[in-house]
Amino acid sequence: MTQDFSATPGEPGQEGPASTAGTGIDTTVPHSARIWNYWLGGKDNYAVDRDAGDQYKAIFPGIAVVARTSRGFLTRAVRYLAGEAGMRQFLDIGTGLPTADNTHEVAQRVAPESKIVYVDNDPLVLAHARALLTSAPAGATDYLDADIRNPAAILDTAAGLLDFKQPVALMLMGIMGHFTDEEAYPIVRSLQAGLPSGGYFALYDGANTNEAFNQAQEGYNASGAVPYYLRSPAQFERFFEGLELVEPGVVPVPHWRPDPDAEQVEIYSYCGVGRKP
Amino acid sequence: MSTDQRDGEPPGDAPGPTVARMILGIQLHRMREAAGISPDQAGYEIRASRSKISRMENGQVRFKERDVTDLLTLYGVTDAMTRDGLVALAKQANTPGWWARYGDILADWFELYLGLEMAASVIRTFELQFVHGLFQTEDYARAVTVLGHTAAPKDEIERRVNIRLKRQDLLTGAKPPQVWSVIDEGALRRPVGGPAVMRAQLEHLIAVSGLRQVTIQVAPFARGGHAAAGGSFTILRFGDPDVPDVVYLEQLTSAFYLDKREDVDHYVEVMNHLSTEALTPAQSTRFLGDIIRDM
Repeated sequence: MTQDFSATPGEPGQEGPASTAGTGIDTTVPHSARIWNYWLGGKDNYAVDRDAGDQYKAIFPGIAVVARTSRGFLTRAVRYLAGEAGMRQFLDIGTGLPTADNTHEVAQRVAPESKIVYVDNDPLVLAHARALLTSAPAGATDYLDADIRNPAAILDTAAGLLDFKQPVALMLMGIMGHFTDEEAYPIVRSLQAGLPSGGYFALYDGANTNEAFNQAQEGYNASGAVPYYLRSPAQFERFFEGLELVEPGVVPVPHWRPDPDAEQVEIYSYCGVGRKP
Repeated sequence: MSTDQRDGEPPGDAPGPTVARMILGIQLHRMREAAGISPDQAGYEIRASRSKISRMENGQVRFKERDVTDLLTLYGVTDAMTRDGLVALAKQANTPGWWARYGDILADWFELYLGLEMAASVIRTFELQFVHGLFQTEDYARAVTVLGHTAAPKDEIERRVNIRLKRQDLLTGAKPPQVWSVIDEGALRRPVGGPAVMRAQLEHLIAVSGLRQVTIQVAPFARGGHAAAGGSFTILRFGDPDVPDVVYLEQLTSAFYLDKREDVDHYVEVMNHLSTEALTPAQSTRFLGDIIRDM
């Protein structure tokens, strides 16, 4: 079962750099979802993305491992949320292009009845999600065309798709780096405020704890692509204020409930999962 | 649509013969380069020409088991697991597909397509004139076949229709590919086979669009011109990360297969434009219902 909804962003005239102009797909500027796809070994990327991805890699070769292990966190976090935490409803904002182990696949492997709402404002991502991120028969997936800069609109529309009297898991995977602190904390607070008590919040993003990573990111941000800001571990902690942190807290991605056979790598993205009391 | 598994189908996850050839070719190419051996030297080793080596590495020919083992030895590949894996792949590459028994009426260029279609993990199509073969009803398929083979005897037409229906087993098999189709409104309005056949075809489209692995998007007239000025095309993607996407362009008497990255990128870009400009899948299902009501 699939449905399709659109939350109208508040002020269309004020769309910032994260929106793609019109319904078009710009293949002249590197595109974060496509570069990410390239680093993950996917095939949904263009020359401009591969060039930007390679330039980035030349400065910070670890980025492909960051991409892979971050995706690994998404898998482990969703498995935890659907398993131990018993979540059956997921609001995944900043969906990205489909890859292996997408949110609904992981959740529905644990609990087939899981319902996932994918939210993005990128037409390419949405077209792929509608076609390829389709639910198993027992559960459901919905797709919401919305801009995270208008959290109230997302919550309004999501409330018609999910049962907000029941717990909901909110996922912001690798998306808040696209916003400055001034934008990011209010967005996250509003979204968390809309969650029912007993719901969960999961996040990862890049951290500023490695000089090469910082340099590569600065070069990338100067390229005309949508910028992405690396944060300190203390800045990550602030996203979880007011929540009960799930063990082991806010940590580098590989340290969050690693699988027994996990690769041991130094990684510079941070993550956490918190429960709303 | 029949779901029985007849002879000649590779079991479970195994790639079909065509893709097995492609994967084997890519691996042999990589191993030869790693060993620093020229195509001439490799050709000499297996009593063949450099162009035979290049055709092998492009997955265009059948593989003799002995050629594969000789090349692996030349390339210094001694690990038994790797060698056995590649030899198994060579055997796979030589197993005929279910369509082999239709060889007398199938053109070679189309047999290749059937092999790719069966092995694909994602099939994206843009259809300007007809409903895609994987979604055709028997009557619609017969009408399309008659249009293309006006002089063919009745039994040949029936065999061609059978091939088309047999292809559709893919959609209900154990590991169906994702089929993501953008259909121009013109293909939906043109009453191929007459209004009754077309109505049943449109109803069938609504039914298959309910399958999890099928996505149908309509490109309506109202959205104006679209990016695919060239016409219908298909992009095949394979699960193996080493196997490139293949663009399939069918002509009246032949077909083009493009797998160079810059060509593929261009077609993927056009397909992405079409998919973002077309109606969403949910809107498309409603639109199909509207067309039926208009008939």
